[in-house]
Amino acid sequence: MEIRHMLSALWRTRTGPILIAVQIAFALAVLVNVTYMVEQRLAAYSEPTGIDIENIFWVSTTAYTPDYDQKSALESDLQWLNSLPGVIAASASVTLPQVFWGIGLPFSASADPHAPNEGSRLYMMSARAVETLGLKLASGRTFSPAAVAPVSADVGTALGKWAPEVLITQTLADRVFPNGDALGKNLYVGLVNRSAKVVGIIQTMQGAPITGPFSRWGRQAVIVPINPPGPNGLYLIRTHPGRQAEVMARVEKEFVDRVPGRYVVQIQTLARTAYNTRNGLRTSSIILGVVTLLVLAVSAIGIFGLAVFNVTTRTKQIGTRRAVGARRFHILRYFLVENWLVTTSGVVVGCVLALAGGVIMSRLAQAPRLPLYYLVGGVLFVWALGLLSVLLPARRAADISPAVATRTV
Amino acid sequence: MMLKHDLRLALRSFRRNPILTALTVSAIAAGIGAAMISITLYHARAGHPIWWKEHQLFAVTLDARGSDHTGEELMRHPEYPPDQVTYRDAQALYRSDIPKHAVMMYRTARVVDPGKSGVKPFGVTARLTTADFFPMFDTPMRYGAGWGRAADTTPDPIVVLSSRLNDKLFNGANSVGRSITLNDRQFRVIGVADRWMPQPKFYDMTTGAFDVAEDLYMPFGWATELKLSPAGSINCVTPSAKVGGFDSLIDTDCVFMQYWVEIPDTAALRRYQQFVDNYTNNQKQYGRFVRPTNNRLYDVPAWLDRNDVVGDDSRIDVVLAVVFLAVCIVNTVGLMLAKFLGAAPVTGLRRALGASRKHIMHQHLVEVVLLAVIGGAVGVLLARLGLWAIKAMTYVPGPDDGPERRALADALAHMDYSMVVLAIGISILTGILAGLYPAWRIGKAAPASFLKAQ
Repeated sequence: MEIRHMLSALWRTRTGPILIAVQIAFALAVLVNVTYMVEQRLAAYSEPTGIDIENIFWVSTTAYTPDYDQKSALESDLQWLNSLPGVIAASASVTLPQVFWGIGLPFSASADPHAPNEGSRLYMMSARAVETLGLKLASGRTFSPAAVAPVSADVGTALGKWAPEVLITQTLADRVFPNGDALGKNLYVGLVNRSAKVVGIIQTMQGAPITGPFSRWGRQAVIVPINPPGPNGLYLIRTHPGRQAEVMARVEKEFVDRVPGRYVVQIQTLARTAYNTRNGLRTSSIILGVVTLLVLAVSAIGIFGLAVFNVTTRTKQIGTRRAVGARRFHILRYFLVENWLVTTSGVVVGCVLALAGGVIMSRLAQAPRLPLYYLVGGVLFVWALGLLSVLLPARRAADISPAVATRTV
Repeated sequence: MMLKHDLRLALRSFRRNPILTALTVSAIAAGIGAAMISITLYHARAGHPIWWKEHQLFAVTLDARGSDHTGEELMRHPEYPPDQVTYRDAQALYRSDIPKHAVMMYRTARVVDPGKSGVKPFGVTARLTTADFFPMFDTPMRYGAGWGRAADTTPDPIVVLSSRLNDKLFNGANSVGRSITLNDRQFRVIGVADRWMPQPKFYDMTTGAFDVAEDLYMPFGWATELKLSPAGSINCVTPSAKVGGFDSLIDTDCVFMQYWVEIPDTAALRRYQQFVDNYTNNQKQYGRFVRPTNNRLYDVPAWLDRNDVVGDDSRIDVVLAVVFLAVCIVNTVGLMLAKFLGAAPVTGLRRALGASRKHIMHQHLVEVVLLAVIGGAVGVLLARLGLWAIKAMTYVPGPDDGPERRALADALAHMDYSMVVLAIGISILTGILAGLYPAWRIGKAAPASFLKAQ
């Protein structure tokens, strides 16, 4: 083909093509790195939680009088909530799932405080926790009602007393007991120097969507059966599908007057809580995506502009070629191939930029290095974008009549 | 005179080629808009909340960690000591008279009973702090004043309210001398802080670097008197730490308190560092501070840096926006080149009629800079729109958000005058960067080459 002519023609008017190639290089570097970053964020965003988020809501209370008795309030609240029509199960808890704050402790397979340990999120919950959260057990059973520890003076005291049984997630079980024999073993708890028997293993329970090197901690959880201490109350309520609004309205209306000396701090669906928690991930993904689209759009405009300029300045030459026998297809092919050469030189530089950008980003954001298949996908995409941008001017060029050659412009 | 002539020529050139002009302006506007959004967000996060004395205030951190601490290998800076101190260490540090001011404090939760019928009790955040808090952080007072050190140890039943809480309880009136009920106990109001919202909230960022200040302040002695648990972060840093109730919390290696000192001169700072190191070295005999001495004093900018207040996302956004602006500039170079060469015959004519090469260059540069400034103005509008959209996406209104929390969301997406000035500067720079080569290229060409009939 006419590649050599094409290259020499490109070289003679090199400024425009070089500028386009530079744009393509930047666009490729941005596209590849941002796609990878957004992909990681979305992975954390949409990771399965193992929790029946859609059918759970929560209500929190605070007591302010000294005669408030947490033990009797808890018993009466749980009995009332669990008896409401439409409710599957309700439990009291100290912390919420699907938020970034919570209680964490080190856990270990050995009683030695200096043995290797693994940090994990801790959920201190009353009976029926598994049913309330809608968790699935991979093996074992849920804790027995007798294992639920009574109300203590405060959270610290409750932690210090601990409970005889715990449930842990599969992710934590795999870390602490690598031989896969967690069920029935004793799990030792650092800082409180207690231990409890692992009676069940939870398939999946994601406490919070975490990106980066700590992401594992989002899926490591221990549920310990302890009736939460006062003065704060937090109840999770799981309803039958479609009945949440009705149950929530009733709880909102009647809950505060059930026990004197306390007020309702907040009542919210867990779906809303989980949505708010993912706010940062969502917003940053949108910002990154919009900027990338802009970079691609501006690059496409650049390619388009250069092609239009070339077609305009070469009208007479195109007409001449048509007059001496070139077919429309040949003209079209000329512009497509010329553009492809420009795009490809940009792609080559862009690959280097993308890899360099990947190294910088992985340093900045502590993310694993950019996988190479992102680069391959990015290159294919940029090629397609280049061809699409040049298609319209190239077709206009092909439409130039051979008669143009006979005119003086 | 010359500039006026050049500007007129530029406007004529815009009219001659409106589509190309619009494309160029929109490319520049998009580039500058994106750059301004990211720089504004960065600027708001990288604020100087107490710039007038930021090099005299120091956060004190002690490395009380045991030999192994869970998850350390995943941390970016495992060498940093914990960001808070234990109760026991705070008490010991408080004995030093080297600092001009010293503050030990933490955040807790209380319930206010307004005592009026029809108004339900509600929860508030309270800062338990020693007396120097107010002079040290220059907290502006609307009414009354803070308390003296003696009131911390008694402790006196007094509080300083935020203006937010004062508005809620007393409709903004001077409440000094009135009393309020906190969980069944009466406290006398001795001061009301004026609207005060240092951003970042540098003196305690454990509940988020961008948070509103607490609703009220209480003398530190109430911590042990009422056994008030912290409502912030508690981090137990040695394996032998004992988690239990409040009594064990203040007696073990769990950090939950912020400790700040004000030291105006460097000689005193050196003495203070020595004092701190002597203290921890002395503690080694009790089996504490097992690691090599690693106690760090951070002034405010270093403290914000240590806590990574700016954040990765802000940095990535700025890098990305600058790359995007570069792409837009390169794009403008191409478009301008095409445009100038397209109008080359006219330029050739002007050269032939005596316009100097320098003048031609000057004229074309003026045209590009004018385009860039127009693009910059559109870009600033785009940036405002974008910041508004980002605020709408990130700010989730809570059930009882006061005006302060809304103001906080506004402040984080606020484009102040310095940003607008910066935008103008960036536009002019963009114009010069994008215009230099095309203007040079068109100025360099010999007039004859354009005049030949094609």
